[in-house]
Amino acid sequence: MPIYEQTYRRHEARGTLRRVRFWPITREALRLILARRAFLGLLVVAWLPFVVRVIQIYVVTRFPEASRILPVDGRLFGEFLIQQSVWMMFITIFGGAGLVANDLRTGAILVYLSRPLTRRDYVLGKLGVLMLLNLSVTLVPGLLLYLIALALAPDQFLKWNLAWIGPAIVLQSLVMSLVMGLVGLAVSSLSRSARVAGIGFFGIVAGLEVARGILYAFYRRPETALISFRASLQSLAAALFGLSERSVSLPWFYPAILLTVVALGCLLVLRSRVRAVEIVQ
Amino acid sequence: MRETLVEMDEAPLVEFKDLVVSYGPIQALAGVSGVFLPGPTGLLGPNGAGKTTLLKTLLGFLEPDDGTLTAFGLDPTKRPLEVRRRIGYLPEVDCHLPGMTAASFVAFAGELSGLPRDEAISRAHEVLYYVGLGEARYRTVDTYSTGMKQRVKLAQALVHDPDLLLLDEPTNGLDPAGRDEMLALIRDISERRQMSLILCSHLLRDVEQVCENVIVFNQGRVAASGRISELTGPRRAVYDVRVKGDPAAFLTDLKDHGCEWREGEDSYRVFLGDGAGPELIFRMARESGVQVRFLRPGAETLEDVFLRALGHEAEA
Repeated sequence: MPIYEQTYRRHEARGTLRRVRFWPITREALRLILARRAFLGLLVVAWLPFVVRVIQIYVVTRFPEASRILPVDGRLFGEFLIQQSVWMMFITIFGGAGLVANDLRTGAILVYLSRPLTRRDYVLGKLGVLMLLNLSVTLVPGLLLYLIALALAPDQFLKWNLAWIGPAIVLQSLVMSLVMGLVGLAVSSLSRSARVAGIGFFGIVAGLEVARGILYAFYRRPETALISFRASLQSLAAALFGLSERSVSLPWFYPAILLTVVALGCLLVLRSRVRAVEIVQ
Repeated sequence: MRETLVEMDEAPLVEFKDLVVSYGPIQALAGVSGVFLPGPTGLLGPNGAGKTTLLKTLLGFLEPDDGTLTAFGLDPTKRPLEVRRRIGYLPEVDCHLPGMTAASFVAFAGELSGLPRDEAISRAHEVLYYVGLGEARYRTVDTYSTGMKQRVKLAQALVHDPDLLLLDEPTNGLDPAGRDEMLALIRDISERRQMSLILCSHLLRDVEQVCENVIVFNQGRVAASGRISELTGPRRAVYDVRVKGDPAAFLTDLKDHGCEWREGEDSYRVFLGDGAGPELIFRMARESGVQVRFLRPGAETLEDVFLRALGHEAEA
């Protein structure tokens, strides 16, 4: 008896189309990424700055004179998030570079798009992976840090005029994760190799940072921050958290406009690359 | 030239009429019309004939420049999700998710098709057993042989129990034994599981083994279509002939008398004109000075129909 005789039954029930169709894509991709120990290690390391900041808050509350060297106020959270953007970059490289590139290489894109899914569902599913990973090293530790600050130094932080810190952490984390995620996905969709996409993403981020550094050295103007989207994220954080970083000090709408343009550009790239049919002219 | 298909007495699953699909300046489908009835249908044609383009239009991947296509009464360009949830697609190209076991991959495919997670997992195991991968279902697909990858592709297409299965070159890269097993599976799906399917292939034998109906594509047009039994039935008398002597004059005479011929390995396959019998072959042989050493009546095969259709297309 052939082995295929063993079992098969028709599936009678057919439910309605799901509204949230992207979630299985996000969940499965996360499962595969988090199964890699090296990646879990990266996530753990990305939480080390959080531990350092907690120690900083603790030390300052115990020894107030230490605040002259390590001031603890609203700016601490902005600086923390900027610091985390480096880890976000590594997470995007090691977790996101293959998200679309691997599907294009192995033909899996057809497995997705021949199902009752739109290209938007696919992109949302993949973006969800990077958003969740990036938020896990920005929003989660950021809010936790804020709660710890409230608990350890209520005299300093439990004030109405500092109530903006929580929403600012949420907004900055979301913007950073969204922009980094979209750029990561767009670069991933431009290659069929995760390695090439990862190097490409690092090249773009680092290259633009170097270009900004050179321009700033020459002109000493904060507008140079608009060259690099990472510097623009810093610029936004500076505006939101009142940081006195001269090199990126710009009105909030400058980086907001640039980051919107970057995000739209990435969506256009994804729109042209995420297709079931590749048309070679 | 716009082609129409034979009259069909069953409600078609897919209908297309005057369908034009282009890739930029290149027209892949040039005003084709036809239907896919319930049951197995072969989509036959050489590479670049437009078969895969038709499947991709059916899945809503490509938008027609002109004409209409409906699947289950729905327009795939307007309601692609509803069409796709009723279709299982086995692509021609390799497709798997790196690092996933076959069980996870097929369950994931089921979930993407709208099955609840538990149901998708349960069906993934059933379907993997059905296609003969039960013992290997916890291995990652990356480690599979070509034959196993073809089977897992079939499993992911079947997992949500579609109404219509699109199989694009399912025997690609398989050895003869693997091909026979795959075709046996496909036949089983069609005959015993009562699932309609479209088998897209450039291999006549595959289509002949599985399908009842066939549409032959060539250069973006429908070259022939209908039931295989009708297309290959005794419409023309066919003889396999071997002659001794110079066959050039013999073959020319046959052609002059309305016969067609095709060269085989060591004989000629002669298609006689209307009303002609084997005596014509003997007469032509005598007149052209060759000796008939072998004569055997045959039946027109799908290959003959295919080549004739392509020949007529080329002449047109």
